[in-house]
Amino acid sequence: MSTATASGPIVALKNVTKTYQQGAIEVHALRGLDLVIEPGEFTAISGPSGSGKSTALNLIGGLDTPTGGSVQVEGHDLGALGRKALSDLRRDRIGFVFQAYNLVPVLTAAENAEMVLALQGVDDKTRRAKVTALLDQVGLQGLADRRPDELSGGQQQRVAIARAIAAQPAIVLADEPTANVDSATAEMLLDLMERLNQDLGVTFLFSTHDPRVMARAKRLINLVDGKVDSDERRDG
Amino acid sequence: MKISTLAAMAWRNIWRNRRRTLVTLASIVFGTFLAIMLTGVGDATYGSMIDTAARMGNGHVTVQHPMQVQAPAPKRFISGTTALADKIKADPEVKHVSARIMGQVMLAAAGESRGAGVIGIDPTVESKDTLSALGGISEGKLFGPDDKRGIVLGADLARHLGVKLGRKVVFTLTDRHGEVFSGLARVRGLIHTGTSAIDGGLCLLPISVLRKALGYGPDDATLLAVLVTDQRYAAAVSKRLMPLANEQRVVLTWHQTLAEMSGFIDMKLSGAAFMQGLMMLLIAAGIFNALFVSVMERLPEFGILTAIGWRRSQLFILVMLESLWLALVGIGLSAVVTALPYYKLSTDGFSIADQLGDGAEIANVMMDPTMYVRIHPENLALIVLAVVTATLLSGLFPAYKAGSVNPVDAIKLV
Repeated sequence: MSTATASGPIVALKNVTKTYQQGAIEVHALRGLDLVIEPGEFTAISGPSGSGKSTALNLIGGLDTPTGGSVQVEGHDLGALGRKALSDLRRDRIGFVFQAYNLVPVLTAAENAEMVLALQGVDDKTRRAKVTALLDQVGLQGLADRRPDELSGGQQQRVAIARAIAAQPAIVLADEPTANVDSATAEMLLDLMERLNQDLGVTFLFSTHDPRVMARAKRLINLVDGKVDSDERRDG
Repeated sequence: MKISTLAAMAWRNIWRNRRRTLVTLASIVFGTFLAIMLTGVGDATYGSMIDTAARMGNGHVTVQHPMQVQAPAPKRFISGTTALADKIKADPEVKHVSARIMGQVMLAAAGESRGAGVIGIDPTVESKDTLSALGGISEGKLFGPDDKRGIVLGADLARHLGVKLGRKVVFTLTDRHGEVFSGLARVRGLIHTGTSAIDGGLCLLPISVLRKALGYGPDDATLLAVLVTDQRYAAAVSKRLMPLANEQRVVLTWHQTLAEMSGFIDMKLSGAAFMQGLMMLLIAAGIFNALFVSVMERLPEFGILTAIGWRRSQLFILVMLESLWLALVGIGLSAVVTALPYYKLSTDGFSIADQLGDGAEIANVMMDPTMYVRIHPENLALIVLAVVTATLLSGLFPAYKAGSVNPVDAIKLV
């Protein structure tokens, strides 16, 4: 997959619709969603259950296909990409953090964190050096050789964040990253992601119910019934 | 991602559920152990039977007149046996070649008479290793090369005729022209093998005597018995000797000359193959179950791996490597578990004397009361290949399932 386009938005959704068939019922998850995410944003998509937050993230991540409209990531129309090209795009340009089950339990923290680099074919030495530095950066010094079951929930999410940013993606999609951790851990994770956004310019897009995430977001998009209800930008 | 990285991950994956993996490995070990033992018993027993039968007269490969099997008669003989034998001996897998005359005689002594099979042999080239009856001479000895009057009788045959060592016997036969010929012989030895066909119905005469009696030339015989270094090579040797065949002679393997025993062995081998197929199916079902459950448990993980950039093919290969690891570890453990019992049973064997009672014969071949387990290397390789194949085939569907995971659906399971 080619590197990021020189300028322009990272994500552009134009009139995106998504309809699911749930038994006999047709569910309209997204109803003409328009959305643009610029580099360096720290954006949260909020909204009630069924408002289309996760669906929007899945479409941006190339995990799902829209029923109508177009989804572009760094100028690539995802609908025009084949399966392999989509895999490569996810590997090279998109980082993912999920709410749970993020890590492979049989791999150590370092091995989990370097997985995307391994997929990219980065050699062992470079990979290990990069991941060691990254784990330090996310506050996991000395825990590189621990397996997920030897780490706390917050530490596991830090490893997931390290994995998500290891390949320097254009954007990190975080689906309810604080849903399964306690308040203190949630604050620590948000501190970390905020720091990565500020210091390294990593673009984050969250889907969340969590008021703490919403409070920290520099841009808060509220979805209702599959459409943007409000889009609030906060400076500073 | 490098295949070595995938292999290392697959190795760790199979130990996620240690108990399930151990149960799966146990089923592989049990199935492989049984397959090796059953095949080993068959290879040793049938191999020994074939060798014994070959040494009863016809050899592993026989060169004889084309009609000799269907309608044996003295007029159906082959000529030029010395030159033929020399050509046959040039084959690297040929161990021994003997010209023999085999047929029927009527024996008479002191008012008693009996029909019997006769083998005319050259005592200078025959031994118990080439003709099993010679190993059974328990009284007296084989006639010498200059002995034109000697005869060796089966012990039971001699008893029925009422003769002992040194006594005279009259043998009568029909020569190649259909004329009756009678000759006098003196009993030089008695054979006791435990096989009724030999002890009660066989006599040995010098081939030179029989040639004269039948009206054969000095280089004629009813057959050339060829012993090969390993009975498994009989077909290949026979194929190589085919150029020697013509209208007057054919080249046959023991399958054709000992059709009854060949049919029995084929039937047994078919039964064993069916049982082994069934065992492989059971092994495959166990592995399939273990892998399928393991994959289904990991669907959310596969969904996340797909999301972060794993390709379907990589997930497929990962699960296939897991099945390959199971196969390799299973085979390794099978080797460890099988080694000692195999060694004991291949050297000491196990006695089936109680089951056989006074002895059992199959197609006139005496069963050895000690059974051994000695598997042919190619059959061992086949078993290993079958286990690996069964394991890999079992992994195909779970691997496909892992590779075709829909990340959105799978992540919803989180």
